[in-house]
Amino acid sequence: MSKNYNVIGHSKPKIDGPEKVSGAAKYTGDLKFPNMLHGKILTSPHAHARILSIDTSEAEKLPGVKAVITHKDVPTLKYGLSPARWDENIFCSEKTRFVGDKVAAVACLDEETCYKALKLIKVEYEVLPAVLDFLTAMDEGQPLVHEEYARNINTEIHQEFGDVAKAFAEAHHVRTDTFIGQRTYQCPIEPHSAISMWDAGKLTIYSSTQSPHYFQHYIAREFGMDIGDVRVLKTFVGGGFGGKLEPTGLEFAGAVLAKITSRPVRMFYDRAEMFAHNRGRHAQQMEITTGVDKDGKILGAYANFKMDGGAYTSLGIASAYYAGALLPMTYEFDNFKFDMYRVYTNLPACGAQRGHGAPQPKYAFESHLDNVAKDLGIDPMDIRIRNARRPDTVTPNDFKINSCHMKECLERAREISGWDEKKKNKVPGRGIGVSTGSFVTGAGYPIYRTDLPHASAFIRVNEDGTAATLYTGSVDIGQGSDTVLCQMAAEAMGYRYEQMKIVAADTETTPLDFGAYASRQTYMSGTAVKLAGEEVKKQILEMASFMLSLPPEDLDCEDGIIFSKSRDDKSITFQEAARKHFVLRGPLMGKGVYTPPKLGGTFKGAAVGTSPAYSFGAQIGEVEIDAETGEISVLGIWDVHDCGKVINPRLLHGQVHGALFMGMGESVWEEVLFDDKGKIINAELANYKMLTAMDMPPIESEVIDSYEPTGPWGAKEVGEGSTNPTLGMFSNAIFDAMGVRVNSLPLTYEKVWRALKEKREQEAAEKA
Amino acid sequence: MYMPDYEYHTPGTLAEACTLLGELGGKVTVLAGGSDVLHKMKIGNLVPDHLVSLKNLKELREIRYEQGRGVVIGALVTHDGIYRSQLLQKHFLSLPMAAHTMANTQVTNIGTIGGNIVNGSPLADLPPILIALGASVKLVGRSGERVLPLEEFIVGPGKTVIAQDEILTEISIPDQPTTGSTYKKFGLRKSGALAVVSVAAAVTVEGGAITDARIVLGAVAPVPLRAKSAEASLKGKKVSDEAIEEAAAAAAADSRPISDLRGSDEYRRELVRVFTKRALRKAIDEGHV
Ligand SMILES: Cc1cc2nc3c(=O)[nH]c(=O)nc-3n(C[C@H](O)[C@H](O)[C@H](O)COP(=O)(O)OP(=O)(O)OC[C@H]3O[C@@H](n4cnc5c(N)ncnc54)[C@H](O)[C@@H]3O)c2cc1C
Repeated sequence: MSKNYNVIGHSKPKIDGPEKVSGAAKYTGDLKFPNMLHGKILTSPHAHARILSIDTSEAEKLPGVKAVITHKDVPTLKYGLSPARWDENIFCSEKTRFVGDKVAAVACLDEETCYKALKLIKVEYEVLPAVLDFLTAMDEGQPLVHEEYARNINTEIHQEFGDVAKAFAEAHHVRTDTFIGQRTYQCPIEPHSAISMWDAGKLTIYSSTQSPHYFQHYIAREFGMDIGDVRVLKTFVGGGFGGKLEPTGLEFAGAVLAKITSRPVRMFYDRAEMFAHNRGRHAQQMEITTGVDKDGKILGAYANFKMDGGAYTSLGIASAYYAGALLPMTYEFDNFKFDMYRVYTNLPACGAQRGHGAPQPKYAFESHLDNVAKDLGIDPMDIRIRNARRPDTVTPNDFKINSCHMKECLERAREISGWDEKKKNKVPGRGIGVSTGSFVTGAGYPIYRTDLPHASAFIRVNEDGTAATLYTGSVDIGQGSDTVLCQMAAEAMGYRYEQMKIVAADTETTPLDFGAYASRQTYMSGTAVKLAGEEVKKQILEMASFMLSLPPEDLDCEDGIIFSKSRDDKSITFQEAARKHFVLRGPLMGKGVYTPPKLGGTFKGAAVGTSPAYSFGAQIGEVEIDAETGEISVLGIWDVHDCGKVINPRLLHGQVHGALFMGMGESVWEEVLFDDKGKIINAELANYKMLTAMDMPPIESEVIDSYEPTGPWGAKEVGEGSTNPTLGMFSNAIFDAMGVRVNSLPLTYEKVWRALKEKREQEAAEKA
Repeated sequence: MYMPDYEYHTPGTLAEACTLLGELGGKVTVLAGGSDVLHKMKIGNLVPDHLVSLKNLKELREIRYEQGRGVVIGALVTHDGIYRSQLLQKHFLSLPMAAHTMANTQVTNIGTIGGNIVNGSPLADLPPILIALGASVKLVGRSGERVLPLEEFIVGPGKTVIAQDEILTEISIPDQPTTGSTYKKFGLRKSGALAVVSVAAAVTVEGGAITDARIVLGAVAPVPLRAKSAEASLKGKKVSDEAIEEAAAAAAADSRPISDLRGSDEYRRELVRVFTKRALRKAIDEGHV
């Protein structure tokens, strides 16, 4: 732990920094291919409608239109995350299920013609009554979104660990609170885009994707192809946050259009289409009950949730399981019950968004815990420290926790935020709140059923040793994984980071990796990279041993220099030895592969939430509230994380800032809003209020000195974990400032204003 | 999102521009910075046959002081130009400060004061403070020019009294006895936010008494709204918290807000009260800010 490393642990500059800063970096939408056509998708203007007829003849006649396709021209195989719930088609055939559902597509010589052609496609609809409210979607007599799913139930979960009823019966205090989480959208700055092309029987797709491998698998399945005949590769990606983890109509329709026209077809979503496609965070109703003893020790908890899934499963079944699975992480208790209904509505489908499933339940639980602390007269910090999870424990739902510094995170955050002082000397209008979070370091099981390893990598040192190239299927979507993995490769090889190159995220040239989701790459891809680097190092030391006539055990290599551990006068460069290796033995290569151990319990849904390691963190925020307007100013945020060994400190803190930025938006500002016909009314960035740089408060981000025994050099996740505490932290800071609890997200200025007004009115009534 | 087909014109003189506007058939739209026009075209709310760009009318990009007319601002001056104008900063800092609350750098670099006015949005940021300062607009058409108070120019959401062949050329703010003015905007984030409510106030305070006050409310009526009963309630009163509170309550009663995705009518009415109070206090205590 205290060992000093040459490459990891240092804020090495991003490997793609110069390209991005100079504008040379090409994103999928920037690419041009000879004869490339442009494609667009026609979508449903109705939330729920029967398709009576589709007439494409006028569109086909328009000059410049090269193809028009509908459900008749594409495979009818349904897709989705899990086989039991494959429920989505490339194009709707009988009915459309949300405003934005895919109906037809065109390929044209230019983009403008596409828009004109779409207007010429005549679709006759019979508008059906729509299900827009997830809280009543299961009621008798509601229309069915999918005829095969009774009462609009997409996913139903009932889990119990220990005996919650008994725990409540024995508790000193039992309390129930109900909260509502809103629908939010990932809003990556780069829109989804894909360019599809065929060469004989082979399909190649350039895509703005978080997982070329999953796309390849999914697309091959849809078209009945061997995965070897499908190549998916990404260029630069401008953010994903969960929304680019599954293929969209851009890949599916694009592939068909490219096949029919025998030309490359470029497709993208504009901002409004991105919102309509959605797959963002589910809206959710969360009822939480806990029983505690008189000191606030949690004895048991019951989470009773309902989720708005939208029209399709997408990745949402995982979100539904995660919502409960990650609740018993940061606090220790033995009795836990979780009931969940994920229901269909005629709204865009929801899926995975940073912190997958966890941030809203965390908001509910952390707000609730503050309420419990208040009931008992305990400081919110004390109740958390009292319940904080310890290392080497097992959660009631069978997740094995190795490293865990939950308590230290809380204590350190308490210290650097000045918690005690601020609590003692309260400034009117100001409040301070604390919350915790934890997240998986990669999912314990693959995203689809397979026995393939989760990550693999190889390293090729070039013939004269002046460069080494890391080949990995992992996916840098802006978070910096290319940089971190090259640092890890160089460290393992004893090489210099500055001489590393990388080829990544191309299913044809790079080895399998599941991609950028579930905060898995530093740990899982990193483990594979480390093994590959160590294999290179072993070979280079053997070669050096031959060259220096010293036993390999006496040699080591750091920073490109091979040296004797016992003698000062014996050393050669990595470069010299690598060249010699090539001359005598051919290419110097190393490979590595990672498969997680078997994890978790045996109950239904036991796989979701398993991970080889978990991050932990505490966040404290201070707000100031304008009592007359409800306006919330954020004075400061203190984040302390236990994420194991830090590979690149600057990138790590960047992840914390980014996660906080998203968490802040979800806390107070962001919400996807619909009209009474199910159409989004703020599918743009003026009224879907993502925060700006001007809104960001001073942030202090710290890490605890931590070591995860199963991780590469002791590393675990950070990318998503820091989003988890934020929503609850805001709720608690507002509560502390004003003594009002807003029970629904986002905690808008108006909601805070209204809560204050109601409080004043109530106080006045009590006095009278 | 794509731009519908249209014909593009770039007249070299004001006269030529007016002639084009008057004589081209079909739907003809003036283009200044385009930050409203192009957006509306992209989302399909505006489908013009012709766009007449004012970009060659360099004379409309100036800000100057003219004896008798006061500060004269060319219609093509951008929000950034207003923000940086030393002349405006010296005479009526409240206007540059209002421009500073707007949009983001990309938009303030192209959006113009003329466009902000002729667009006729009830939540536009410049009209309230301009009306509070008694500004007039000059309109030039084929058959001559006319000058009218800005207050009479905007008549409904997106509606003004401009004629088909007219161009707004100048906005003038007269020399005046006012002792203070300010613009308060309430948006839902620190940058790039549209007004949920805004309040502009200009006051004349002599010997501790308010001799005159103009209060204009944004985003709470179909047009930037003079809060007349609030103004009347202040006239002749000694400066006091009570007088300000009373005027603020009167302004809230004067407002006619609707509920939309940025706020409910009830919330907006209360915000009018709060920001009228704050605007008056600031204009009285700090001058033109
Ligand atoms: C991202 C974004 C954020 C924005 N934020 C704000 C904000 O915070 N506050 C705010 O008030 N506005 C905001 N706006 C709206 C807009 O930027 C302003 O209204 C701007 O001042 C319009 O000026 P323009 O020169 O771009 O007008 P244009 O779009 O060119 O024209 C607007 C209208 O005025 C007419 N017109 C323009 N000039 C003349 C003239 N001289 N004579 C006759 N008719 C004319 C045009 O025909 C058109 O009807 C925002 C816009 C965007 C895109």
